[in-house]
Amino acid sequence: MTTWVELEKFQPVAVKMINNSITRQRIAHAYLFHGPPGTGKQEASLLFAMRYFCENKDEHSSEPCHECVSCKRIQSGNHPDLHWIEPDGQSIKKDQIEYLQKEFTYTGLESNQKFYVVKQAEKMTVNAANRLLKFLEEPSQDTVAVLITEHSGQMLDTIVSRCQRIQFHTLSGEHLYQQLLDQGLAESTAKLFSSMKMDVNQAVEWNEDDWFAEARKIVIQLMDKVMNSNEEGYLYLHQVYLKHFQGRESLEFGLELLLIWFQDIISLHLDKQDSVVLIDQMERLEQFHYIVSLSEAKTLIYEVLYTKRRLAQNVHPTLAMENLILQLQR
Amino acid sequence: MKILIEREPLMASIQNVMKAISSKTTIPILSGIKLEANDQGVKLTGSNSDITIESIIPKEEDGVINIHEIIPGQIVVQAKFLPEIIKKLPNNQVEIDVDDDLNLKIKSGHAEFKLNGQDAEEYPQLPMLQTENSFDLQIDLLKMLIRQTNFAVSVSETRPILTGVHLKLEENLLELVATDSHRLASRKISMNDAEELFFNNVVIPGKSLSELNKILDETQDTIQISVTDNQILFRTKNVYFLSRLLDGNYPETSRLIPNQSKTVVKVNSKELIESIDRASLLAKDNRNNIVKLVTKGQNTLQITSNSPEIGHVEETLETDSIDGEELKISFNAKYMIDALRAIDSDKVSINFTGAMRPFVIRPEEDDEQILQLITPVRTY
Amino acid sequence: MSKKGRIIYHVDMNSFYASVEMAYRPELKGKPVAIAGNPEERRGIVVTSSYEARAKGVKTTMPLWQAYSHCPSLIVLKPNFDRYREASRHMFSILSEITPYVQPVSIDEGYMDVTDYVNEENPIQVAENIQKRILNELDLPCSIGIAPNKFLAKMASDMKKPMGITVLRKREIKHKLWILPIEEMYGVGEKTADKLKKIDIETIGDLATKDVLTLKNLLGINGERLHQRANGIDDRPVDPDAVHEFKSIGNSTTLPYDMTNQTEIFKVLNQLSEKVAARMERKDVVAENIQLMIRYYDRKTITRSKQLNEFIETKDEISNIAKRLFQQHWNEDPVRLLGVTAQHLTPREEMAKQLDLFNYEKEAEKEELYVAMDQIKEKYGKDAFIKLKDTKAKMSTSFQKDFLSEFRENKKGKS
Repeated sequence: MTTWVELEKFQPVAVKMINNSITRQRIAHAYLFHGPPGTGKQEASLLFAMRYFCENKDEHSSEPCHECVSCKRIQSGNHPDLHWIEPDGQSIKKDQIEYLQKEFTYTGLESNQKFYVVKQAEKMTVNAANRLLKFLEEPSQDTVAVLITEHSGQMLDTIVSRCQRIQFHTLSGEHLYQQLLDQGLAESTAKLFSSMKMDVNQAVEWNEDDWFAEARKIVIQLMDKVMNSNEEGYLYLHQVYLKHFQGRESLEFGLELLLIWFQDIISLHLDKQDSVVLIDQMERLEQFHYIVSLSEAKTLIYEVLYTKRRLAQNVHPTLAMENLILQLQR
Repeated sequence: MKILIEREPLMASIQNVMKAISSKTTIPILSGIKLEANDQGVKLTGSNSDITIESIIPKEEDGVINIHEIIPGQIVVQAKFLPEIIKKLPNNQVEIDVDDDLNLKIKSGHAEFKLNGQDAEEYPQLPMLQTENSFDLQIDLLKMLIRQTNFAVSVSETRPILTGVHLKLEENLLELVATDSHRLASRKISMNDAEELFFNNVVIPGKSLSELNKILDETQDTIQISVTDNQILFRTKNVYFLSRLLDGNYPETSRLIPNQSKTVVKVNSKELIESIDRASLLAKDNRNNIVKLVTKGQNTLQITSNSPEIGHVEETLETDSIDGEELKISFNAKYMIDALRAIDSDKVSINFTGAMRPFVIRPEEDDEQILQLITPVRTY
Repeated sequence: MSKKGRIIYHVDMNSFYASVEMAYRPELKGKPVAIAGNPEERRGIVVTSSYEARAKGVKTTMPLWQAYSHCPSLIVLKPNFDRYREASRHMFSILSEITPYVQPVSIDEGYMDVTDYVNEENPIQVAENIQKRILNELDLPCSIGIAPNKFLAKMASDMKKPMGITVLRKREIKHKLWILPIEEMYGVGEKTADKLKKIDIETIGDLATKDVLTLKNLLGINGERLHQRANGIDDRPVDPDAVHEFKSIGNSTTLPYDMTNQTEIFKVLNQLSEKVAARMERKDVVAENIQLMIRYYDRKTITRSKQLNEFIETKDEISNIAKRLFQQHWNEDPVRLLGVTAQHLTPREEMAKQLDLFNYEKEAEKEELYVAMDQIKEKYGKDAFIKLKDTKAKMSTSFQKDFLSEFRENKKGKS
């Protein structure tokens, strides 16, 4: 479990604002935590809720004790007066709204302190939003609501204006890498995903997906083939590559991997070993960087980017990829 | 924790607390029953967060031994299978054993069940009993109070506070009020020794009171009632019933009750119920279940109802007396029948102040304690 | 019913009233014929005319004197409502034999959803059969538009008249629809067209390619709707029941001369309110909203409405609100036309109102009035009370609405 101190490392402004409202005892009735996915909004809500209910709180510190019955139960999801609302599918459903509304009208179970967290708050239906609004207009004394959203622009102005807004910023590559390592990703994968600026949740999901591991392998093999004039990159493209990368999104992903491959070649040419992303392929890359000159690598990066554009313009994927392979093949 | 307990009282207790457990709960721990053993006995708790029921099995009661062996401790066990397991055990005695890893062993005769338990620390912490802030009522009286008011709570969520019964205690007078904004039920009783007690704006969810009413048997035993900030507790000898309250300010209702009248009808309650019930046979089809009541000469009332597609019903009813102005008024038949049934008196007195104003129904005698108010329907 | 790949017909009777007259009196065929409300008065305006009359410049809603000046040989007839109603009923029954999904829009046009009824058959063939049957059995011409949705079908039926069958596929909108001037687009009235032209939208294509935000700012939600329509998007279903929901009852009249005297104007409002009240009485409905329309001498038109928090039904209640609206919004220019419409209607039998404990006082204050009204009704009978005023509704420009009791939905732009 994280602490404010840890969270502050990569969200200094947001954490400072929240901590100030806690230690100065100026907790608002409603907050809007907004920012890109994987930036710690949920962790911050959890810490906030723990501190709110914590039985050993220190007035001068915003940290919860993490050990009392309340803190523990918040982590296990058993605190009866903390309510998480999360859209079930496309929107927050009717029974969720009814639940929310009922909870607004009842006193708490253990005390009169209540804490609500609404995730993906932009997905509230107008009806749900209006009910929430009604509550925000006349909150009961001991209630705090935290709305979490990645798309604050899609929220009703009337709601946003009643919340204290806390912005969560995109993580820097280094922080993201660290976070991914914390999530148990292998160094090489963490490096790759953080270089792609993938958000933490998605990265964890992809990491568990065999498709991704396979995709990575295929791209490296494809490059082995095209960089070797004795091999048929063209054949490999049809027999393996295109069978794995189907559909626009996965094709784009394949091209992203190719780009990284070339960037790494360039990094080696510039003696920037630290910047290499495919660190587990270092030996291979070292070999290839003797074959592909710096200026060649640059040119080929343009070819990959050009192919990306053509895909976006709905050029037939097979044609676009064939064309690219012809350019790359030694 | 370890107990050796008689199966029957355990089974009865489980059935008690199961009434509070809901299969669809958002708080995982509430799908379990909490077992707590101390030197005095065993306490079981079940909750759906709105209501919580605690059932106590004393070690010994009236010379009968319920629990033969106790090593104190606590555990939460999944409620889903427990009742069936205990019911089907072969022996009259049950041994329940919990180890440090929260594994639960249930032994009876040659049968042995192993269940995974959950840490009792995860279970909600209920407010402590505050006996100094409590008063006593006879159970059958409490049940009557609920019956006479709870039907009038609002079922719509537009004004959530009205979905509860308002409880007020001051100067030894306990008052319960419920209204859905179309009708209002009020019941007062005098208390003997509650001078020190004062509370207002305690609003108990109507659903909780219905549950409580189901659980309580019609006895003359006393029940102890205490109120905290966020919960109300009803305590009988071995069963504690807790309910969360409604958060908000209950509207001032005393000003709604008219203190004068233009037309007063005294009538046999049962006859009036029956005749309105007949009229509403057709009225159920129209939108508001409307019947119309018209005063006629010689102390008679005319009761009619009209449903455009079905037909018309009309009947006259002899009253004991009609005093004051002539009157023609329409109202929801169901409200009238509910009110008359709640009053439960042979003769009632109905005070009208005009066709567009609420009217008051009271028992003809003993008219201080109960009052039902109904707002009419304006027809076109 | 899947919204994808629907086949919608819009069947539009060609100059319906004139055609019906010609079917009854074949000697009129080939001659310029117009149907007009009051042939002898100035306020008589052309309701519809034959193609021969149109060729000479006679237009719908044109005052008669002007029509004569365009076409001195114009034959002007009074409308025969019974004939039109009969022909309309017959026409819709022919359509209903093809599919139950027939939505009458007015007396002489309707939509059909034939998606599930044109299986093997060619949709054009089916449309031709419909057209032939209507011609053979009723001696009436019609045009049919075939398209994947209502809007395109409507536009298609307008493309070839009389006796046209036009298919408008979505992929054809660029060269068939977008080239049309914006005012030809169904749903774009004069005012909307003016507004659109100010932002350089001259054709439907201009509208289709304009960004939605600008249109939304200009026309509100309608801007977005029109933009979708212009792009061939319209997923409204063909609703056979739409005809039963009448949302308003209104009467309007063109004044015999332009009026500026408030007393005179109030008299007209009284008369209109009386007609509206009488029609509401016939329908047994009460209203929660009253709308007033004022058209000035320069054809500038405003509509203003008042939302009420109670139900009203009597002539006085209606006219009081109409007068209040008039006083609030009249700019003192000469008035040419007045209209009063009762909206948000509810059947009276459903109109019992459960009073509320917390605010019944407002109703209770009016109690005496209701008692008095009740007493009058009781004494003289409900019907006698109404009959006094129930003068037979005179023909006014809104007569279409009056007789269209089966197919209730007023036809905008032709009244």
